[in-house]
Amino acid sequence: MSVSHDTGASGAQRLGGFIASYSVVITFLAICLFFAVASPTFLTGANLYNVLVNNVVMLAIVALGLTIVISSGGIDLSVGVSVDMASMVFVMLLAAGYGGVFGVTVGLLAAVAVGVLNAILITRLKISPFLATLGVLFIGQSTQQLATSGGQPIYLITGYAGDQFNAIARTALLGVPTPVLVLIACIVVVYLLLHRSVFGRAVQAMGAQPGVAWYSGLAVPRQQSLVYIGCALLCGITGILLSATVKSYVPLSGNAFLLDAIGATFIGTTLSAERRPTVVGTLLGVLLLAVVKNGLLLIGWNFYWQQVGIGVLVFLVLAVSFGLRRARQ
Amino acid sequence: MTATTMKAAGTDTAQSEKQPRVQNTGKRLGAAAVRLGAIATFALILLYFALFAPGFLSSFNLINVVEQSAILGVLAFGMAVVIIGGGSNVTEGGIDLSIAANMGLCAAVFATVLQAGYPDAVALLAAIACGIAVGTLNAVAVVGLGILPLLASLAVMNIAAGAELTLTQNTVVGAASPLLAFLVSGSFLGISALAWCLILFSAIMLVFIHKTTFGLRLYAVGGHPEAARAAGINVPLHVGFTYLFSGFCAAIASVLAVSRLSASTPGSGEMLLSVLAAALLGTVFSRRLVPTIGGTLLSVLFIGFLANGFQLLNVSSYWVNGVQGALILLVVAVTSFARGPEASR
Repeated sequence: MSVSHDTGASGAQRLGGFIASYSVVITFLAICLFFAVASPTFLTGANLYNVLVNNVVMLAIVALGLTIVISSGGIDLSVGVSVDMASMVFVMLLAAGYGGVFGVTVGLLAAVAVGVLNAILITRLKISPFLATLGVLFIGQSTQQLATSGGQPIYLITGYAGDQFNAIARTALLGVPTPVLVLIACIVVVYLLLHRSVFGRAVQAMGAQPGVAWYSGLAVPRQQSLVYIGCALLCGITGILLSATVKSYVPLSGNAFLLDAIGATFIGTTLSAERRPTVVGTLLGVLLLAVVKNGLLLIGWNFYWQQVGIGVLVFLVLAVSFGLRRARQ
Repeated sequence: MTATTMKAAGTDTAQSEKQPRVQNTGKRLGAAAVRLGAIATFALILLYFALFAPGFLSSFNLINVVEQSAILGVLAFGMAVVIIGGGSNVTEGGIDLSIAANMGLCAAVFATVLQAGYPDAVALLAAIACGIAVGTLNAVAVVGLGILPLLASLAVMNIAAGAELTLTQNTVVGAASPLLAFLVSGSFLGISALAWCLILFSAIMLVFIHKTTFGLRLYAVGGHPEAARAAGINVPLHVGFTYLFSGFCAAIASVLAVSRLSASTPGSGEMLLSVLAAALLGTVFSRRLVPTIGGTLLSVLFIGFLANGFQLLNVSSYWVNGVQGALILLVVAVTSFARGPEASR
């Protein structure tokens, strides 16, 4: 342990520390600046709206769920299954003529069921979170394939269901689109839960020092269950928003969120000195990924190069943050 | 590694390490029961297929399964070595998420170099160089920069997958060469070349990991990095090596994959979960519940036989993933119960 104290630190050292902590923020601003100069359409209201609604909202809600799980020292590989289950049940119920509110409720319950399954596997059967959620991921994929005769999408573009979808995805309150309002609500709730509540302190303790949390008498299994169920519920909300936006259910589409959400959460951990996930950090990670994807598209990079670009960028942000912090020690 | 991660990894491994040493006879019997139980489950399922799946026991079918398992097996060995050297902590332990994408990139390089008219040796070297280069990137990120393996290999996975797409434009790149022809149709003692690849690779790995000082040190590094360092082992060197090695495994697997399909095809990244499942499931076959070569090989074959048996029984292939997932959960749950109450904490 040789963390230099501020009093003895030279200017260069302090600058290094600053860059290590805020490399995500600096990169984010630099990238926004770059795209604003490189592409005339980047800073237009229409484009930013598009980025927010199509690239940020859903990923951010899933990433918030993962932030809770990763804070507790676990991991949830089955976020895609929760997304898909909510989407599948919701769309199937609408297709069968049930009401929108009923469909949303049962859809969210389907996602919660995935969370409950994870919780049972992890707290009762004592399976490590990685393996438990990996198993649930496999089972969830099979379930969807069996329920849709091998992965046939369900499209409900017009008619009754189309109206229900529009009521969710195409409405706005005071000019703010409903999905964005949902995201804001999720942010507030998760922030209060994780950073301002007893539950949040228990979660942080479990993540930072599992042994100490156990010996201090925390009800670790109960808190863990809440963590995985909460994450699944958030993923369910994304599933509902997803199917309402694309007006369909496409099997196995939720998996696309997994790696981006893990990436965003861990990019966010570079903000904190102890490498802990935070709500603010995660949101920054999501914004960074979303802006890069959009910006590379605008300046004409094709999908293949985008993937390389995002990989390199994430790598560099991590390298700067982790590398500088290591150099200081 | 920072002091905090060291501490966390230290306490975690200390708890699981303590188990075999202080366990009483009952617990040792429990662990043995799990090991035997896992093997018995494996045997029972095979027996079921042998009795009810037509043609399951034909030598043609058995060889076919071993052939099909060769790619997964080589990748799973790479992953197992990374987990051995990095420790099996969920978020901070060793893991290489880029291994499947790396295989795709190596396959693309291999097929592209062959198509450009170069001989097998050049293409093979190019593929191995590519695999090791990606591995080096992982090693630099994990060992040099201290980035969490989960995170570093995630970024590298994106880079490798994107590079593959850029190289192939998401198309199938056909490939034909004497080496590929030999791998597909060559055989010795009635066993095909691909099957031999898995057998020989397993044998080499078995000796390398379980019979050499290096292998023993690797386990020490993964089990308790601080103790390993105190004992004078160069920890960064060993951890870095595991990522280079998994890159090498990806390259070898890519050649096998190209030979099976006579082409490099997009979508190899989907193998990642199976590779993880095989490497992690393999731990239940070991006495100390750590990844071993034998255990990994058994679980690879198990996954192969499971898919094959279902096919022969005419069960929809949609079930395979689910049953595979359920079995992982079952086996691991039984294991963690046998570990005893303290170990689960």
